[in-house]
Amino acid sequence: MPPVVIETRELQKSYFGKVTVPVLHGIDLRIFAGEFVAIIGQSGSGKSTLLNILGALDVPTSGTVLINGVDISTLDDDALADLRSEEVGFIFQFHHLLDEYTCLENVLLPLIIRQGSVGDAERDRVIRLLERVGLGHRLDNHPDEMSGGENQRCAIVRALANAPRIVLADEPTGNLDSRSGQEVFALMRDMNREVGVAFVMVTHDDRLAQAADRILLIDDGRMRQLDKEEHRVRTEGMR
Amino acid sequence: MNEHGWLLLIPRTLRFESQLAVRHLRAGGRQTLLTVSAVAAGVIIVVFVTALIFGLQGRWTEVLTEAIPHITIRVTELTPMALADIPGVSAGAVSTLIEQRAPQRRNIENWAQVVAIVRDIPGVRVVAPAVSNQAFASKGGNPIGVSVIGADPDIQDQVTPVTENLIAGHYRGLTSEEIVIDYELARDLNVSTGDRIRLTSSTGAVESFTIAGIYSQGRGRGSAYITLRTAQSLYGLGTAINTIQVKVLNIYEADRVAGRIRALVPYEARSWIQEFPQFLSTLRMQTASAYLISGFSLIASSFAIASILIVSVLQKSKQIGILKSMGARRRQILRAFLLEGLGIALVGSVAGASFGTLIVYLLSLIEQPITRVGQQPEALFPVAIIPASIGLTMVAATVSTVVAALLPARRAARLNPVDVIR
Repeated sequence: MPPVVIETRELQKSYFGKVTVPVLHGIDLRIFAGEFVAIIGQSGSGKSTLLNILGALDVPTSGTVLINGVDISTLDDDALADLRSEEVGFIFQFHHLLDEYTCLENVLLPLIIRQGSVGDAERDRVIRLLERVGLGHRLDNHPDEMSGGENQRCAIVRALANAPRIVLADEPTGNLDSRSGQEVFALMRDMNREVGVAFVMVTHDDRLAQAADRILLIDDGRMRQLDKEEHRVRTEGMR
Repeated sequence: MNEHGWLLLIPRTLRFESQLAVRHLRAGGRQTLLTVSAVAAGVIIVVFVTALIFGLQGRWTEVLTEAIPHITIRVTELTPMALADIPGVSAGAVSTLIEQRAPQRRNIENWAQVVAIVRDIPGVRVVAPAVSNQAFASKGGNPIGVSVIGADPDIQDQVTPVTENLIAGHYRGLTSEEIVIDYELARDLNVSTGDRIRLTSSTGAVESFTIAGIYSQGRGRGSAYITLRTAQSLYGLGTAINTIQVKVLNIYEADRVAGRIRALVPYEARSWIQEFPQFLSTLRMQTASAYLISGFSLIASSFAIASILIVSVLQKSKQIGILKSMGARRRQILRAFLLEGLGIALVGSVAGASFGTLIVYLLSLIEQPITRVGQQPEALFPVAIIPASIGLTMVAATVSTVVAALLPARRAARLNPVDVIR
């Protein structure tokens, strides 16, 4: 069995305001190295909140998150930043590339943040990745000079730039038309197989979820795994 | 040098921050221009105000001190003192005895020795022995009171410039029967060069002089100048004199030099600072005002800069969240925004100092209209371009801008990525 890269135990998250809003109730989860997991659920069910906690961007109200066996609640601010830099890559619904940087520079940014400069070998590796996703001709273009699909492909390569073990994708095709969405998903799947990085993808697209290795459903703040047949039946039932 | 070239000059630990700051500034466009302009405006105001105030001060000081001795050495005069102030006299003592004043020296007999001693004191530029006293000048009509200075013209010219203010005639090479008077006295007596006037000294001696020259300093009635020997004769001093005039290299050192003179010779030495204490306190008030205006200008521009940078942070909050999600640390974000502030400060300071200096220089070229006889062309704005002051202004502007950038930078560093990435 491949090693566990993310594990949660009894994870709970509530938002405290005038009224306390519980979002996640005791989530127990294991993500294995190299697998592709889809998280589905209704809007507001806590999918994005879970993803932010898994990526050490947010903290749970209670429970434990282990990334590569390390309890992230024991890490200070700098160590959490290092963890995000070295172990986790993020892909958002909107590409969130920096307008001031070219496609290549955006992809190199995680490396520059981590080590201050980029060696020739790393630069070549990143360029090869961009060529692999069909952006070899867009290296010097800024985000506003590229299509939505191209920007999202660039964002995928950026998430992989630091060679993380986990990529967390929050509705990465949500902002794209159907065809571009399919292309981007196919690309993520390819990267998952070629590079061996684990993908955790939040999606509303049932067809994409069907193409994942596992499907996890968040319902009313609780998580359960759906087998593909159950998911297919459930999806057809909702149509 | 392209960006990757200059980045290599930056320490590795600051490359990301430097690159981000430069990209922000470049992409900022009008916003960057506005912030840089705010810094530059502050620096221009400070450069302008200090140049104008210090220029005016310099001109006033020059006007005051160029025509007077910086230090005047005289025989010490005894001043009346209340009985109660005399050491050893008990309080409440009353004296009904009026004593005759002890004979006092009024003149400096050994002046050649004194001149030699004073000339050797560091900081002394000119030492001019002279006779200074009052007289009445007349040409047939009513006598007019005038201050008379008897001195060697070559030396006296270095103490109170007469030759350079001459309207007619000459001062250097003055003979014992000649006199140089100022324009106002000449006008009141209705005389010109070559005419003869009569001087009646305070001792009652009367001498006639030929007017060798007429000068104008444009500052009211000036002295009448005769030779030292003639003055000694007019006032019955024999070979003695009654004053020694001293010019120093640095006018603000006059007090120190006067103290040194008092320590070395048994005479009173008073500096121009002691003679005009209000003048110096006025200068201090002006200097304080200049610094106050400068300080407020820089504070005002700092607030403007802080406001613009806070807006900039709000605009970039999503980007900051993304950078944090990619592993940027808090202090990296803090440093990036501080470097952005530093970049704004440096460009704004240099631009402000250059533009401010140019304005000040152009103002210095404007001349006053000539309104009086013998007036030399003078600048309408007597500005002083002081490199040290401009440098200090640039440093102060840079520091205040970076301090202004601190608040928005800290705000940026504290942003929670989850709150800004949607």
